[in-house]
Amino acid sequence: MRTEPAHRLSLFRGTVAFSLTEFRVQAHEGIAIFTSMITQVVLLIFVTILARQYLSVALLGAILFSLFTLGQRVLNEAAYIRVDHKLNQLYLASPLTPGGYFLGISVGVLLTYLGPILVLVAIAVVLVPLTPILGLELAAVGIAVWLFASSMGYVISTTFRDMRAIWSNASLLFNLFGVLPPVFYPVRLFPLALRPIALLMPPSAASAILQNTLSPGTLSSSDLLLAVVGLAVETVVMFVFAVAWARRTAQER
Amino acid sequence: MTGEALHATDVRKTYRIRGGPTVEALSGVSMTVQRGERVALLGRNGAGKTTFLKIASTLLTPTSGQIEVFGHDVGSTPDEVRRLIAVVPQEGKPFFHLTPREQIYTYLCARGFDRRTAKERTSAVLGEMGLDEVADRLSITLSGGQRQRTMVATVIATAAPLLFLDEPTIGMDPFGRRSVWESLRGLTRRGSTILLTTHYLDEAEALSNRLYVVERGRVLVEGTADSLKQQVGGTLRVSIAGGVAFTSTFASFGGSVADGGTLHVILDPSRLTEILNLAVASGLSATVGPVTLEEAFLRVVGRSIDED
Repeated sequence: MRTEPAHRLSLFRGTVAFSLTEFRVQAHEGIAIFTSMITQVVLLIFVTILARQYLSVALLGAILFSLFTLGQRVLNEAAYIRVDHKLNQLYLASPLTPGGYFLGISVGVLLTYLGPILVLVAIAVVLVPLTPILGLELAAVGIAVWLFASSMGYVISTTFRDMRAIWSNASLLFNLFGVLPPVFYPVRLFPLALRPIALLMPPSAASAILQNTLSPGTLSSSDLLLAVVGLAVETVVMFVFAVAWARRTAQER
Repeated sequence: MTGEALHATDVRKTYRIRGGPTVEALSGVSMTVQRGERVALLGRNGAGKTTFLKIASTLLTPTSGQIEVFGHDVGSTPDEVRRLIAVVPQEGKPFFHLTPREQIYTYLCARGFDRRTAKERTSAVLGEMGLDEVADRLSITLSGGQRQRTMVATVIATAAPLLFLDEPTIGMDPFGRRSVWESLRGLTRRGSTILLTTHYLDEAEALSNRLYVVERGRVLVEGTADSLKQQVGGTLRVSIAGGVAFTSTFASFGGSVADGGTLHVILDPSRLTEILNLAVASGLSATVGPVTLEEAFLRVVGRSIDED
């Protein structure tokens, strides 16, 4: 019987190939790539005009917000190709693993929207300025935020059956958690009593960690620990859950 | 090549619709598909064909029962099964922003094929399916039939050991359908096995070695197209113009259906001369033709509905 290659290398190759497929598909959405930056640019303009002293925080926040809202893109794309195109059936009933399918969409989305994010990073290098330590920290928390948001986006995408409901709900969810907590503004301006909540939300936790490096002493050592451990644990838990969820939902109940 | 490609035993599927009734989509389906066969699942809308295909292709869990694909249990070893199958989903559409060439090529790469093999297979299947002319146009600009052909070509290019095709030629013109049929015949000649659903009964007859008629989640009939036709009492249809007024005269020949003033009688070829002589003696004209699979299907399923 002719079987297809299923060794680890081909599974990895399959995931990479599907990522590139997703990138190729989404790269056609030029307007979407442009509009993905509107909130960040508008907020940066306001901060520049009204509170120039917070521009560094806002710039780092804009990068984190951009990575966080990639989860919304993952949600939209995964739901769209499942509900509208039924292509999930084509890919899931194949040697590409369900985890590879989820990762393929997530990495494809990241590649598509990476350009504008790198522009923000370039601006941050000049204006913040981004030191090597801060740069490494930004990369680490940025990856965590992206992975958390993409995992959450994929999991939520599997619960919708109607595209109209998806667009509004996804937009609300990701904008709410990306704008209200102290992502764009200093964490010290956030009510003290509610600070633990902000430090447990991945985008604001990531922003707080960077703010603490930018201005040492912004967070107490316990708050910093809460933000770092919280972000790491939430990211790992959400990613592992998403992979398991992808596997579970590959076979509908 | 011998052996079973698919073996299903008493497969049941019950859906619990939130706030609604419980629906039994499959009520104990058992079937076997031999390696190298082309088998069609026929049935009305909602009969359970797609549900069965989804379970067999690892996309849906059954409430009870078991399906094995090449000896691998679909429920407990889906990863093993997925290496051996490919699926054309019902109402599936290719990525709108990929060309048919890109769609097929990237799908093969995602399945783990190396780039050279993927490229060769893509070119071959595009030619085979008559998609050469539109191979480099974005799918969003293609007609519905061309998109469907792209979906089928994507799956055919895998040459997977077992292919599930849910209404593969829906929306295609007759040329497109025939190119799909020819490709599928070629695939089974090379060793693949095919399980498909279709509402085109001429397609089922032209393409499948065997067929299963499914109604309300259970198998009504299994066999070849000819054996299904035999179950309606004969293989010939005699259409007698104005025969409705003489229904009782022709009652002894077999089952009859009135269509306007014309009486269609289905009978065994051994009684053909007899009925034609009687029609002429009654001053009526008659035409003779073979019973179609559609007529047999309508009779078999209709009888089941009446009984229920």
